[in-house]
Amino acid sequence: MKNDWTPFSYIVVNLARQIRPSELAFSGVNSTLPMLACLLAKRAYDFHFTWLNVAGGVEPEPGKVPHSSSDPAIVAGSPAIFANEDFYDLCARGGLDLVFLGCAQVDGRGRTNVSVIGEWRNPKVRLPGGGGAAVMMPTARRVATWRTEHSTRTLVEKLDFVTAAGNLQTVVTPLAVFQKEDGRLALESWNPQVTPDEIVRRTGFKFDANGATPTAPLTARERSALDSLDPAGEFAAEVA
Amino acid sequence: MTLVAGLRAAAYGVPFQPVGGVHGSDLAALNGWRKVKDPYGSGEEVYVIPAIRPDVAVIHVNAVDEHGNARVLGSPFWDHPLTRAAKRVLVTAERLVPTATLAAQPELTLVPGFMVEAAAIVPRGAWPGSMHPDYEIDYAAVESYLRDEDGALEAHLNAAPEIV
Repeated sequence: MKNDWTPFSYIVVNLARQIRPSELAFSGVNSTLPMLACLLAKRAYDFHFTWLNVAGGVEPEPGKVPHSSSDPAIVAGSPAIFANEDFYDLCARGGLDLVFLGCAQVDGRGRTNVSVIGEWRNPKVRLPGGGGAAVMMPTARRVATWRTEHSTRTLVEKLDFVTAAGNLQTVVTPLAVFQKEDGRLALESWNPQVTPDEIVRRTGFKFDANGATPTAPLTARERSALDSLDPAGEFAAEVA
Repeated sequence: MTLVAGLRAAAYGVPFQPVGGVHGSDLAALNGWRKVKDPYGSGEEVYVIPAIRPDVAVIHVNAVDEHGNARVLGSPFWDHPLTRAAKRVLVTAERLVPTATLAAQPELTLVPGFMVEAAAIVPRGAWPGSMHPDYEIDYAAVESYLRDEDGALEAHLNAAPEIV
């Protein structure tokens, strides 16, 4: 039971563990895993926090979890609509405690690329863009990102393009949780299915691992919340 | 959000709009965005985004009356700054309703008729996207047009339910 993390459960639960009591947390577009993390935190943890999402939901209580994290279905049960202009402005004036922002690449300083792989004018892959990341990352109090692939092409020494920089605090992959300390990402904990040495080999940037520990196991409440959110394993199947 | 700053500049009738953040992003140099120092002396430097004034904004709404008053239910996403920034506004709507229906809850009218140049009644006009609360995303239809095979897009377009 102790080491039965899956890539899916490891990312969702460790994102959920970044949420602190009384915080205002926000999840955006193309962010299924943070959406599930916020829902999991609501079900598995005893403290209150406020969840806002990109569809305009304020403390929504969706009966079913939609496939897309921007589906208006995740507004179900919300007593207010706090739409795009409002949540961006709230972030810009320092009112969002924790924002989940995706990335294609992240560097050792905790900056992200969501714009392009290769040269801007001659791209290998043109990415969808930041969707407000350049504004949110410097203004949110803390930002958490995630990657389902832990490799030297996703966790890089040098980004192909700096889309966003600022208050990135946490990076979660299927193998590890990094936290920013003194301007650099440092290993906080690792999935006990691998060794810290393997994480060093599979990470493109250098990082401090002093003080890192194995990640605390999945609790019974986290497990049951996860099962209730993904009873048929459909979301888990997308993170292989 | 920088895009919205540009739309807001146009909506406010000014040449540029200050925006929070952007510091440290390569997007600033790529787009030629400039910084200004707070003229009131805080010392803070703020990026300013040039105005973006679309020729036409087209939005899909839940209901419209014969004067073009347009009701949006659920999240308006970017409909507000977009319709205020554009020179002309066109509306497609799920249904035509009497003016009295809109007048009963005027706060749900996102665009007043005087701003709307033309409206068309297009039931299921957001398909395969969603139109809250009238219908949800048609995930199967989205996945079918994304298929990398000959005729996938054509089949999708032919299946459009608003074409009768």
